[in-house]
Amino acid sequence: MESFHQLINGFAVALSWKGLLYCFIGCLWGTIVGVLPGLGPLAGMTLLLPLTFGLDPTIGIIMLTGIFYGAMYGGSTTSILVRIPGEAASVVTCIDGYEMAKQGRAGPALMIAAVGSFIGGSFSLLGLMFIAPPLAKLMIAIGPSVEVVLILLSLGVIAVVSPGSRIKTATMITLGLLVGTIGLDNITAVPRFTFGNPNLSGGLSFAALAIGLFGLSEILLNLENSQTIKAITPKLKDLVPRWKDIRDSSPAIARGSIIGFIFGIIPGVSHVVSTFVSYAVEKRFSKNPEEFGKGAIAGVAGPETANNAVTGTAMIPLLALGIPSIPATAILLSALTIHGVQPGPLLMTTRPEVFWGLVASMYIGNVILLVLNLPLVGLFVNLLRIPYNWLVPIIVIISIIGVYSVNSSVTDIWIMMISGCVGYVLRKFAYEMAPLLLALVLGDRLEGSFRLSLTMSGGDYATFVDRSAIIVLGSVLGLLLTIQASAWIFGYRKSLADEAEGA
Amino acid sequence: MSESSNEPGRAGRLPLVVGARGGGICVAAILAAVGALFAWQASLLDLGHVGLPGPGFFPLVLAIVVTALAIIIGVEHWRAPAGGEKVALFHRDVLIVMAASLAVPLVFSALGALLALGLFAVAILVIVGRVPLLLAIVAAAAFVATCWIMFEVLLGLQLPVGPF
Repeated sequence: MESFHQLINGFAVALSWKGLLYCFIGCLWGTIVGVLPGLGPLAGMTLLLPLTFGLDPTIGIIMLTGIFYGAMYGGSTTSILVRIPGEAASVVTCIDGYEMAKQGRAGPALMIAAVGSFIGGSFSLLGLMFIAPPLAKLMIAIGPSVEVVLILLSLGVIAVVSPGSRIKTATMITLGLLVGTIGLDNITAVPRFTFGNPNLSGGLSFAALAIGLFGLSEILLNLENSQTIKAITPKLKDLVPRWKDIRDSSPAIARGSIIGFIFGIIPGVSHVVSTFVSYAVEKRFSKNPEEFGKGAIAGVAGPETANNAVTGTAMIPLLALGIPSIPATAILLSALTIHGVQPGPLLMTTRPEVFWGLVASMYIGNVILLVLNLPLVGLFVNLLRIPYNWLVPIIVIISIIGVYSVNSSVTDIWIMMISGCVGYVLRKFAYEMAPLLLALVLGDRLEGSFRLSLTMSGGDYATFVDRSAIIVLGSVLGLLLTIQASAWIFGYRKSLADEAEGA
Repeated sequence: MSESSNEPGRAGRLPLVVGARGGGICVAAILAAVGALFAWQASLLDLGHVGLPGPGFFPLVLAIVVTALAIIIGVEHWRAPAGGEKVALFHRDVLIVMAASLAVPLVFSALGALLALGLFAVAILVIVGRVPLLLAIVAAAAFVATCWIMFEVLLGLQLPVGPF
């Protein structure tokens, strides 16, 4: 009852003219950055972060969160109609979404993606409302040794679900962890790999790296294919899905909601991974797995639901514990801190209007996005008709100003530009950037928890296997890695055998 | 390596076409060198011991793993048959955008943010976008003015002003 009472108060904040206006601005901007290749939620939130400085903290957070889940919606539009993922979480949607569009079924794909996103987003909000308090207590009780196992599990899952070469993915994960060690050591404050440059003491700017590796490299890659963008624009009447589409996508939406919910709540695991996992699960559960990659609607419904289900639950560790679980919530943490609001267990009692205002605004935002995305799909697709070469300076300039505004540092611009060029070359040779960035976010915590666990246990490695929960998690990780290693060894030996046969 | 099969479009006048095998070996070698550099630097830090690792322990282990994985990738590429897939790198427009992007931080403080970004926009619009110079200048000026109003006037962001 208490929750409902608080939620009503939250709606009073979210339904004020300011709340509605900035929620709409956030959703609209989020959809635009989701649609445009090279800009994603991270860049979108970073760019508008300065705009929140003059606002009430609740309103500022409502707008930034709107960008976050708006980008999830927007990303699906271009994935389905153009086969260009507007942002990283929509990569998986390209596979079957675009195939459906080519078969003249773009409308149902968009409709199912939007409805799935709405259901996933709303489901995760229920979790945020009702499960956050007890789960927060449980998470608080978790020690650093469990966190080490959880993070390793997350990285193991990434290695399994990421597309392309597993060994290249493993290299990117390790490289991300390594790059994350640049800066002052968290425990001893010893500078590492800073080469005497004080600008590197705090480590490499995450926003600069993220925008460079994802955004700038994407722009460079798109420049090579700037003439190949051909959007398929469905008519409004074509949006209605068939009964078979609803039947096939309903279980996928249900599973996607749960997967997104779980991945959103595990610290450090991004919305990107939840989409890969959801796709893999749908393929496994499907009676016709051979249809995946050829226009299976479950391959659109599951990942799109999952990436929106992440948005609500990703807020749980941020708002209840003060720990950002994914990069986007790290930006929200920065914004809250700037406004003097400390996220954590006391937030719900000291600043209830922030927590419940945000929850209420997310319900409203989901409705705004549903209304905004379906009828205006043609308008958003038209953004892609602007010659890409004209958009390049606009996107790069906004990114530069956004990156500079975080720390007022030219070094961050250098990091963004260099990482963009490096990302371009690596992506040309099929190295994935998402595992690198995820590992970068997790690396600091992995090392900190690892060393803290050993310090607490007096150097006893048994601390990582002394609880049943850890054993279960470790077993899952071990199983995943064994499967992965077997697949790799088998594939490698098979290729050697084939080669020997050929000789 | 899906990009490797893409036909270069209008932007593809000067692509550097390399074999996936040779290019893959080069990239792996660079990654291995980066790993080795990190390993060397990490070895100069306090490593502690296995039970109680110091600040150099974690990066040293990671750097060794990166180097080892990169060597494995390099060997895999080396074992691949020669004359296979090709990878088109650095199309004309890509090179121009890269060069212009890297020039921005060089002059960002010296010229001032708005002038540096304005010049960047003009260069990209003229050379990459094939927009007439006058139109490019007008468009860049309009966009930079919009940025100034939005970020400096409305948001109060302090951008470097340069000598002006």
